Amino acid sequence: MVTAVLWALALCYAVSRVAIGYPDPRRQYRGLGRGEVAFISSAGEAMYPAGGPIPSSGLDADLPGYLERLLAASHLQTRILLHLLFFLVEHGTLLFPTPGRGGMRRFSSQDVEHRVAALDGWAESTLFFRRVVFTSLRAVLTMGYFAHPPVVRRLGLAPLAIESPICEADLLYPRIGERPESIGKTAADLTAPSAGIPLPQDGPLEPGFAEPRP
Amino acid sequence: MSSVEPGEIRVFAQYDRDLTLEADVVVVGSGPTGAVVAKELTDAGKSVVLVEEGPPFVPAEYELDGGLSMARTMREGGLRTTSGTIMPTMQAIALGGGSLVNSAICNRAPAFVLDRWCTDFELERTTRADLDPHYEAVATFLGISVTPDNVLGRRNLLFRDGCNALGYQCESILRNVRGCRGSGECFTGCRSRAKQSMDISYIPAAIRGGARVLTSVRIERVLAEGWRATGVVGRVVKPFTGKPSHQVRVHAKVVVLAAGCAATPVLLQKSGNLANRSGQVGENLQFHPGVAIMGIFPDPVYPRFGATQGYQSRHFLRDGFKLETLWAPPAITAVRLPGSGMALKNRLADIPYSAIWDGIATCNRSLGRVRARRRSLDPILSWKLHPADVPVLAHALWVLAQIFFAAGARTIVPGVHGIAPELHSLKEAEVLRDRPLRTTDLVLAGNHVFCTTRMHGDPRLGVVNEMGRCHDFENLYIADTGIFPRSTSVNPMWTGMALAHRSAHHIAQQI
Repeated sequence: MVTAVLWALALCYAVSRVAIGYPDPRRQYRGLGRGEVAFISSAGEAMYPAGGPIPSSGLDADLPGYLERLLAASHLQTRILLHLLFFLVEHGTLLFPTPGRGGMRRFSSQDVEHRVAALDGWAESTLFFRRVVFTSLRAVLTMGYFAHPPVVRRLGLAPLAIESPICEADLLYPRIGERPESIGKTAADLTAPSAGIPLPQDGPLEPGFAEPRP
Repeated sequence: MSSVEPGEIRVFAQYDRDLTLEADVVVVGSGPTGAVVAKELTDAGKSVVLVEEGPPFVPAEYELDGGLSMARTMREGGLRTTSGTIMPTMQAIALGGGSLVNSAICNRAPAFVLDRWCTDFELERTTRADLDPHYEAVATFLGISVTPDNVLGRRNLLFRDGCNALGYQCESILRNVRGCRGSGECFTGCRSRAKQSMDISYIPAAIRGGARVLTSVRIERVLAEGWRATGVVGRVVKPFTGKPSHQVRVHAKVVVLAAGCAATPVLLQKSGNLANRSGQVGENLQFHPGVAIMGIFPDPVYPRFGATQGYQSRHFLRDGFKLETLWAPPAITAVRLPGSGMALKNRLADIPYSAIWDGIATCNRSLGRVRARRRSLDPILSWKLHPADVPVLAHALWVLAQIFFAAGARTIVPGVHGIAPELHSLKEAEVLRDRPLRTTDLVLAGNHVFCTTRMHGDPRLGVVNEMGRCHDFENLYIADTGIFPRSTSVNPMWTGMALAHRSAHHIAQQI
């Protein structure tokens, strides 16, 4: 009887920890649960706080939006691994509590200072596995942060606009998912190959990375 | 639409029923080696079907974002790792294979390496002199040439300056590029169409010559009767999801597997453990594990500009490693930086002042194996870095540190666990030389893969002979880097293509 009660309590705790109390996200993200959106946003905020040499924060960069796109482009196995990664760090505070009061609360429920401390705990762990988890998390968040055009513009790393020459291959291959009839180019459309003229450093940026016009 | 005409390429949207084709030769895999075989055999007047699991990518499909690009162009979304010693390793899934997303480095295997291949693996015709005509043929077709000075950019030139200051041999890298503009975008697809990846070079030439190219087809089995391969069978797969649909069967006089060092052994294993009387299929897995250091300079480096990998040093080849410059999409570059929070942001702000240089190690003692996953054609790559190879990688890191400080770096970020995240002088960097490192201290990456179907003069000890023909079969060939008996000690693409060129001319004489 006591065992059954303890199991029931543990189950209630697990359900409440995993599923209850997450805020509604600002918008719906396909492929991400509410808890995952909260985790990604809070991890992004801790990893990339506002201010400093790059004004944009992880919150500004809409990291859940990037992860949504990355998940959509990924195979099932990769998607599963990414979901596991989020779950592991969000609830890993049970196994590896953050120092201080409330250190066992889920990651996204902790304040920024505690979240940074939690991330440092993963990063500097003597356990190789924990360091790999941290590196993986930082990798996907960093990719999302750098997909935010103001970040790469600020660093002078936004891609320059390049007009691709039309070569023989462009008459052979349609865009992915389309039929050859959609190519719409003939031999008359071929252009001269690249002459090897270095790209100008101050050239126009690729659309999508350029500063929005006021 | 059930037939495919000579000189036709079939893409995913066109398959509407099962397909059966006949050919002289079917080539599985359109990467650098498979593309060479297809083109050379087409030129020799043979009827060729080239099969590729991935789709063709045109510039409008290139993702400039590093993460999304990898998710679309790499198997397992770019998240493939080895087990044992955990190390990321990538294999492309695209028409043109890895050539679409590599940095086009072309190096001939050094003569001393090939001589060792010959003596240690009972090979008679694989010296540098034997292979040079094949290297030349590939070079002429692709326009392999030295990276011009005007597109090197400062991060490549700083490497040159550092090497020169220390008296280390260095050189501008030979690449299969025509008209490079220095965009540094080799890893996400060359929008300038300057990189001569297979999809814009060998494959169009093969199609022009009459080859039939089937994209989005995953070969699942090699068909065989007795000691003869009779063809291959597989399924049409939807790009990015891999969802299978119609069956594709190609009957051929000769089957050439060029699916890559990780995929070809799996295909043989899934086909009833074919060509494996030696027990060597999937064994001897080797990588060039790589380590890298980021250096921060006092003045802007403008790392966005310049050939992705434009300079190298082969000074330490006999010590077991090669050094080269490196650039990747900014997001991938940033992944290397340590820390989190404001400390990380401050380091990110240093990227415009940074360069990344890496070392790849020969590691002939570090071996592994490839096994098929259950109900999947994805491989399990088990591999362990041999303890004796750790000091080689540590030596590479130490030399890179020397070059950085000789070039004027103010700080280096070694990315080694247990060592300060930033080192500010050569004196501080001596820790890389003096402190014994463990495997798990290193952040490794391994993208050159070979030896899983190695060539050997003795059929009991190798899978293929010098011409790439499986010892156990009259007409089954392997033409990817799996046939290397050992590391090339340098980037393997050109050697793989030279061997494929030789195999193709041999096959042409056999049928």
